[in-house]
Amino acid sequence: MTQRPYGLMAEFRTPDDLMHAVRAARRAGFTRIDAFSPFPLPDLANELGIRTSIIPWIAFVAALIGAGLQYGSQYWMNAVDYPLNVGGRPLNSWPTFIPSTLIVAILWAGAATLLGLLAILRLPRLHHPVFSVHGFERVTNDRFFLCVLGEDPLFDGEATRDFLQGLSPQAVREVPA
Amino acid sequence: MTSEAQAVTRTVAEVPLARRFGVLWWGALLASGALVLLLGYTLVSVTLVGVGVWGINIPFVWGFDLINYAWWIGIANGASLFAAILVLRRHDLRTAVNRFAEGVAFFAVICAGIFPIIHLGRPWLFYWVFPYPATFEVWPQFRSTLTWDFWAISTHAIVTSLLWYVGLIPDLATLRDRARSRNVKRLYGVFALGWRGSVRDWAYHQRAYRLVAILVLPLILIMQSTVAFEFAVTLVPDWHETRQPLHFVATGLAQGLSIVLLVAVLLRWGLRLGPYIDEGDIDLLGRLVLASALVSAYLYVDEIVAALLADGIAQEATFNRLTGDYAGLYWTAIVYSILIPQLLWLKAARRSTLACVFVGFSIGVGIWFDRFSIIVGGLQTDYLPSIWRTYSPTLAETGLFLGTIGLFAALLLLFVRFLPVVSMFETRHDEHEEKSS
Repeated sequence: MTQRPYGLMAEFRTPDDLMHAVRAARRAGFTRIDAFSPFPLPDLANELGIRTSIIPWIAFVAALIGAGLQYGSQYWMNAVDYPLNVGGRPLNSWPTFIPSTLIVAILWAGAATLLGLLAILRLPRLHHPVFSVHGFERVTNDRFFLCVLGEDPLFDGEATRDFLQGLSPQAVREVPA
Repeated sequence: MTSEAQAVTRTVAEVPLARRFGVLWWGALLASGALVLLLGYTLVSVTLVGVGVWGINIPFVWGFDLINYAWWIGIANGASLFAAILVLRRHDLRTAVNRFAEGVAFFAVICAGIFPIIHLGRPWLFYWVFPYPATFEVWPQFRSTLTWDFWAISTHAIVTSLLWYVGLIPDLATLRDRARSRNVKRLYGVFALGWRGSVRDWAYHQRAYRLVAILVLPLILIMQSTVAFEFAVTLVPDWHETRQPLHFVATGLAQGLSIVLLVAVLLRWGLRLGPYIDEGDIDLLGRLVLASALVSAYLYVDEIVAALLADGIAQEATFNRLTGDYAGLYWTAIVYSILIPQLLWLKAARRSTLACVFVGFSIGVGIWFDRFSIIVGGLQTDYLPSIWRTYSPTLAETGLFLGTIGLFAALLLLFVRFLPVVSMFETRHDEHEEKSS
């Protein structure tokens, strides 16, 4: 038995064509599909059931950790470990601890969100099977692609190709593993 | 293939991919490079000799260092706040100006960050404000404002650069896919991190991008308030004011917007980006600059009213700024940052490149004089008349200031040369939405 390809890729000219194709593929029972476009398509993301609500949670939890650490460390350093009496001012001078606490909370939230984003998307990744598809470079310009992955339970070389051809794409190409 | 490419990709991506760049660009880079050399020279001289090469002395323990810090951080904050609000409002203007507004903010933070480090006197020990387990077993004093600067500047630099870079990833992928030479393709490919435009990736990308843009809003307000608090927590009569944060936030915004306007018209003219930074965008930017100048005007009036209500010494200190040795600075600030921007009431002025450059530049200059007036004018009449003196910068300080302007210009020129100045994916998205609506 020959090795299964990574998938089959159909190329479309407009986002609407891609939307129709994704709907048809889902109706046909394919579950392991991926769509590619040159700009965000929120409707299509909804259609594919992509939920991104983890992102705000990452930010929120990171902000709490950052704020807690910053306030706690300021308190410990200036009030417990090395108390320094400056003009009789309180050691736990919370108003002066607030600026860096808030700023560090934002630093943690922002950095965790953006680094978390890269982790969720599994980037950086210098190579991916789809890059070897002829003409795929136009995905960052003006073309839209639907890929049915080889690991899909319904994937069957010829039948899947026929199905994709039936969606009247510009071209259907195999994505080598 | 080029003929079928989307117009935005063709126009914007071809700028960084072009083999040659005009004489004008090279000339500007050489000029700013010379100023960067001057910056290096003044930095080395102050490191070797000490802050005695500056014109500062008691009571002027701060001079150009703090003036220029406050000025640069204002540009950074104004530009980032503007970029963040555009992203959040999903405003059409964002496609045109966001990318370089974020760039302007990032470069301005770099310039601002130089000053607090160099004015320490022993700049090589700057890491003492960071809590690390030193052998002296002494921790930084968090009740001192100097540690606020450390966290504020480093946070602003990190968050702005991350936001800018994450927004760039999809556009770097476009450059990767359009590059003609293998090496250029590889270079952009490495920075594009393997972006392949999957719909799932886009969904997460947009969510994270917007979320960090939201975070920028409180960051900016805290940043400018922190700068202002650094003045307000001192006992200097003219500085010890609760109105300071508002003054810094509002005038900083005017200044950030004016620099964005200045850069926008220069890019539009220099790179022929007319279709993407169109007349409507510049017009809207002009109106925003005008509105922010009016808010600044309100705060100048507020300053005088607050002084009338203040106690004797604070009142005297404020009026000394208006009429004393440094009155010229105060009134120059008023003329440049409030009166000249009123030109933008005229539609013709908002449409004219020359007028926009003039107004953008004049607000930048005006706010610089404002910071000078606050810092030097404020310190001039302290409680102790026997130390009333005047301050004037030395060549070493002026060189440092000009040097950071050169650094900013050089970074901006390199950015224009190697990266897309207009967000291509946002523009495509916009064009698609316009078509389908």
